Amino acid sequence: MAHLAHYREAHPLPFVITHWVNLICMILLIISGINIHFPFLPAFEGVTRGIHMFCAFVIVINCIVRIVLAFVVKSAPTGGTRKMETDIKSWLPQADNRHQAGAWVKYYLFLKKDHPLSAKLGVPQKITYLLIPFLIIFMAYTGFCLWAPTMDAPLCVAGLNLVGGAMTMRIIHYFMMYVFICFMFIHVYLANVEGLSASKLMLLRQEHGGLVYDPETHAIVGEDALDETH
Amino acid sequence: MKNEAIVSEFYDKLESRGVTRRDFMKLCGAIAAAAGISQLTANEVAYAVEQSIIGASEGNLYPVIWMEGASCTGCTESFAQIDAPDAATVVLEMISLNYSETLGAGAGWSFEEAREQTIAAGNYIFVYEGAVLQGWEGQALRVANEPGRDHLAHTAEHANAVVALGSCAVNGGWMAAHPNPSEAMGVSQYLQKVGIDTTVINVPGCPANPEWLEAVLVDVLMLELKRLDLTKDNKPALIFGQTIHDNCQRRGHFENGEFVYEYGTEEEVKGYCLYPLGCRGPQTKANCGITRWNRRRSWCIESGAPCIGCTTANPKNSNENWVQTNTPFHKRHRMLRLGNFTFQPTTIALSVTGLLAAALVIHGFGMKLTGRMDGGADFEKVRKWDEKHPDRAIGAYVSPAALEDKAAKEGNEESKGGKA
Repeated sequence: MAHLAHYREAHPLPFVITHWVNLICMILLIISGINIHFPFLPAFEGVTRGIHMFCAFVIVINCIVRIVLAFVVKSAPTGGTRKMETDIKSWLPQADNRHQAGAWVKYYLFLKKDHPLSAKLGVPQKITYLLIPFLIIFMAYTGFCLWAPTMDAPLCVAGLNLVGGAMTMRIIHYFMMYVFICFMFIHVYLANVEGLSASKLMLLRQEHGGLVYDPETHAIVGEDALDETH
Repeated sequence: MKNEAIVSEFYDKLESRGVTRRDFMKLCGAIAAAAGISQLTANEVAYAVEQSIIGASEGNLYPVIWMEGASCTGCTESFAQIDAPDAATVVLEMISLNYSETLGAGAGWSFEEAREQTIAAGNYIFVYEGAVLQGWEGQALRVANEPGRDHLAHTAEHANAVVALGSCAVNGGWMAAHPNPSEAMGVSQYLQKVGIDTTVINVPGCPANPEWLEAVLVDVLMLELKRLDLTKDNKPALIFGQTIHDNCQRRGHFENGEFVYEYGTEEEVKGYCLYPLGCRGPQTKANCGITRWNRRRSWCIESGAPCIGCTTANPKNSNENWVQTNTPFHKRHRMLRLGNFTFQPTTIALSVTGLLAAALVIHGFGMKLTGRMDGGADFEKVRKWDEKHPDRAIGAYVSPAALEDKAAKEGNEESKGGKA
C-alpha cells in the first residue's frame, strides 16, 4: 500500500459539485465547439450553439464560485489526513510542495524509484490547477469576442485589434480547446494511473485506506487500512 | 470661372431622360437608406443632391479627385456598374471629377495641372483607390515623375475628406499580403505616419460596392462629417456595423442545420448554407446582402460562392489584410506561417494532441512495467532535499523502525480486541 489514505475531507461536497459541473461543461463545450467549428452533426447545429453558450456561462460562474469557496470552505491540506484548513492554503503552493518539483519530474520520467512525498497535489498538478481558472476566463473571453451579441463590446474590440482580428481570435479559441483536451488527458491519466481511488473519492465520495500523513510534521506517520475494516 | 463644371436646370435634365420627380425622390430615399439614415430624410438628400455634390441645378459642382494608388482599378470597374444614377451621369453631370486616371478624358501634363488647380482651389473630396507603396523609397509606384505616396500626401493634405476606397486603400489589401515586398499599407496608416490629419473614411471591399461610395459622398456633403456614424476604425457604421451572416439570405438554412459540404451536390442546388465550405460571413462586416452587386442583381453568396471576407481590413494594421486573414478560402481557418512553412491550425493541434496521447500510452506501459499501477511506488522515507539540508528540512520524520513498532502495536491491540 503506497498511496495516502483517501478521505472525504480532501474534497468536501461543494468542491465535488463544482468538479462535476466543470467536468460536464468541459465535455459539452468541447463537443459543441467542434460541431460549431465544422457541422459534423448538422441537424444539431442550432441546439449545439445554445448548449455551447449556456455551458460557457455556467463554467465561468462555476469557476468564480469555486474561487470564492476556496476562501470559505475548509478541506484537508493533503491526502492521508482528516485535519482541515481553509482550502486556498492548499490550492496555493504549500510547505509540503517545497523543493519537490524536481523529484516529481524525475519520478514521472522513471529516474526516481520511490514516490515523492506529496502535498494535496504534486507540483506539476498544482501549477496546472492554478492556471486552470485563468485559462477558463481567457477561453470565455476569446469566445465572447466571437459571439455576435458581445463582439462589439469595447473590451472585445480591443482584444480583436490586439490579436489581429476575428480569424486570429477564432484560431486562439480553437487552440485553447486543445489545451483543455490535453489538460483533461493528463489530468485523467495522472488521477487514475496508480489506481482509481482518487477518482472514486472525487466523483463518488468513496473513501479508501492508505498511509496517514501528518500535515504538521509534513511526514507519513502511520497507516489506516480503512477499506479492510469497512 | 470658365473652368467650373456646371449643369443646366436639374429637373429639366431629369425629365429629358425620362426621370420623373417621383422617380428622383425614390432614388433619394434609396440613397438615404444606403447611407444608413431614415428614408424620411429623402427631401434633405434631394436638396443636397440638387445643390452641390451630385448635381447642382446651378453653380459649382463638388470637385472630386479620384487617384489610383497600387490598384487593379477593380473599384473603378465596380463603380462603373452603378445604375441609379449610372456612372456616366455621376461623372459627367453630378460631380466635377477633375482628376481620375481611369475615368478622366485628359492625360499627361495638362491633366496633372488640372489636379494641381483643384488642390489649390481647395474644398474637394479625395477618393483614393489602391494601396500606398513604400518600397524602394516610394519608387515602387511612380506617377508623373513623383513617388505615388507623395501625390497622396500632397492631395490629402488639402482635401475636405479622403475616401479610402477598397480594401487596398484601407490597409494594403492583397498588396500587403505576405511577403509584401513593396511594403504596401493603407491610406490612414500612411497619412498618420507623415502627420496629415485629414479625415479618412474607410470603405473596404474587393472591390468596394459603388452604392457604398455614393452613400458616403452624400454623407460627406449632407452631414458635413459631423454626424457621420462611423465605427472606431472610421468605416460607415451602417454599412460595416453588422456581419454578412447577420443579413445573409441563406441564414435560415444555417439555423436549420442545412449545409453544403461539397460543390456539385444536391445541397448546393437547394441553396443551403455555405458555412462548411469556409464561408467568412460570420466574421466579416459588410451589408453586401442588402445592397447586393452588379446593379443589385446578385451577390457572392446568392451566386453560390461562400463569402471570402474581402472587407476584412483593419486600417491600423496592414498585416490584418483580407487575403492573409482568409486564405485558403475554402478552409474554416487561415493558414499559419512559421518562416516559409505554412500549416493549418488543425494539423498542428491534432499532431500535438496525438503526440501527447501516444506519450501517455507509452508512459502507462512504463508505469505498468515498473509496477506502479497498483497504488504507485513506495513513498520516499525522507525528502531528498531534506536529506541534504537537515537543518532546513521541511518534514519532521518518524524513523522507519518507529513506524514498524507503531504498526506492530496497533496490530497487537486489534488482535487482543478481536480475541476479547
